[in-house]
Amino acid sequence: MAEQNQVVGCHTQESWLDHFQKGKDSKKLVVVDFTASWCGPCRFIAPILTDLAKKWTDVTFLKVDVDELKEVAEEWKIDAMPTLLFLKEGKVVDKIVGARKEELLAKVEKHAVVAAA
Amino acid sequence: MAVSGFEGFEKRLELHFFGDDPTVMDQLDGHKKNKGLLGLRLLDFDSLQLVLRAVQCTVVSAVGNHYFDSYVLSESSLFVYPGKIIIKTCGTTQLLKSVRPLIHHARHLGLSLSSVRYTRGNFIFPESQPFPHTSFKEEVVYLEDSLPKGLRFRKASVMPSKTLTHSWHVFTASTDIDLGDVFTIEICMTELDKASAGKFFRRPADGKSGDSAGKDMTEATGIGSISPSALICDFAFDPCGYSMNGIDGDRYSTIHVTPEDGYSYASFETVASRGDDVARVLKKVAQVFRPATMSVSTTSASREVWGRVASALEPLGLKRRSCAVDEFPATGTVVYQTFSNRRK
Repeated sequence: MAEQNQVVGCHTQESWLDHFQKGKDSKKLVVVDFTASWCGPCRFIAPILTDLAKKWTDVTFLKVDVDELKEVAEEWKIDAMPTLLFLKEGKVVDKIVGARKEELLAKVEKHAVVAAA
Repeated sequence: MAVSGFEGFEKRLELHFFGDDPTVMDQLDGHKKNKGLLGLRLLDFDSLQLVLRAVQCTVVSAVGNHYFDSYVLSESSLFVYPGKIIIKTCGTTQLLKSVRPLIHHARHLGLSLSSVRYTRGNFIFPESQPFPHTSFKEEVVYLEDSLPKGLRFRKASVMPSKTLTHSWHVFTASTDIDLGDVFTIEICMTELDKASAGKFFRRPADGKSGDSAGKDMTEATGIGSISPSALICDFAFDPCGYSMNGIDGDRYSTIHVTPEDGYSYASFETVASRGDDVARVLKKVAQVFRPATMSVSTTSASREVWGRVASALEPLGLKRRSCAVDEFPATGTVVYQTFSNRRK
């Protein structure tokens, strides 16, 4: 699959709903990065997410720009960037607000392992 | 002092910029009104890292909202707004080395420096400080050399207290008069209560990340209740020490703690405007750290706030020992007060 091993940007409402539904059906861990082009800390965390996507091929990594998909950001009540939502079967199982590298690595590992088990 | 410990007292720099190009100015103004975006927040992360490398620190965690970006550093904090930068670093960092590169990077974004404010307390281990922080005189010479000529309103002053270990160093330079309605409060606390300081030590091999250990400290110490509506970005260092940045709309707050016995230190800083309940915040801060000595510096357009500081702290047993007032051209009034408890 072309989209594996990378962070997939959702640029339209349809594409977001499509990826969200796919994640829900797959029962795999989905990590959504809510980001903004003008947010410095988002640029700090982006390469770390890229590396994680390469390593954790069983986890889906999605990216949503809060200006591009305002409704989605509002629906998930995003007011600080980056916010990382950890979803399983469409439900939030964990959340990180801010570019917190160590916490991100630990939480991806924790939830990915549970999902695989 | 024969043995040197970690220097808790920070150096703090606040730089304001304006746009040469009117469209940049519109963006900066637009930002103030609601959510504008650009300005200094467009500094790419690599440039920011280069600036921090010159200062000798790194980013440990970060978060942004619609108004500004906040970074917790390996040595204190950085805040980037579209039109201003606040950078505060402790230890033996070389903060003033950031001035020239920041001016340079801002220029590439069409922004020019309009004002600078440099402040710091008294170092506990002054002999450990590297150039240009070897003396206040040296710092002022270095700053003067780094600044464009247009910043013509300049003043350097050392504000005294009755305790030899506390005094407040201030340097300001500005192109024009630009007094906002917000004021800055900078608090430095020494000789922290042992039980309070003890909460900023991690258990050996606690198996936690710095992020999650930081979160636990925020809870356990009561720091989380100082500004309940703020989003907190916290980090615990190993084996001890703590940093946090709070973000609340366009306002920041920040706390840094060096808990080691013999040179324990904690700082708190925030911005507020007239209607804010500053007294409540001051009380909470004093209760979290229970310091033997506390200095409070307020920078504002008016002198009005200083009385509120004493009336908040005195009921907690912190008696005012000194109060120094100084006027800085185009910057406003700095009031520096020191308090100590009855243990002394």
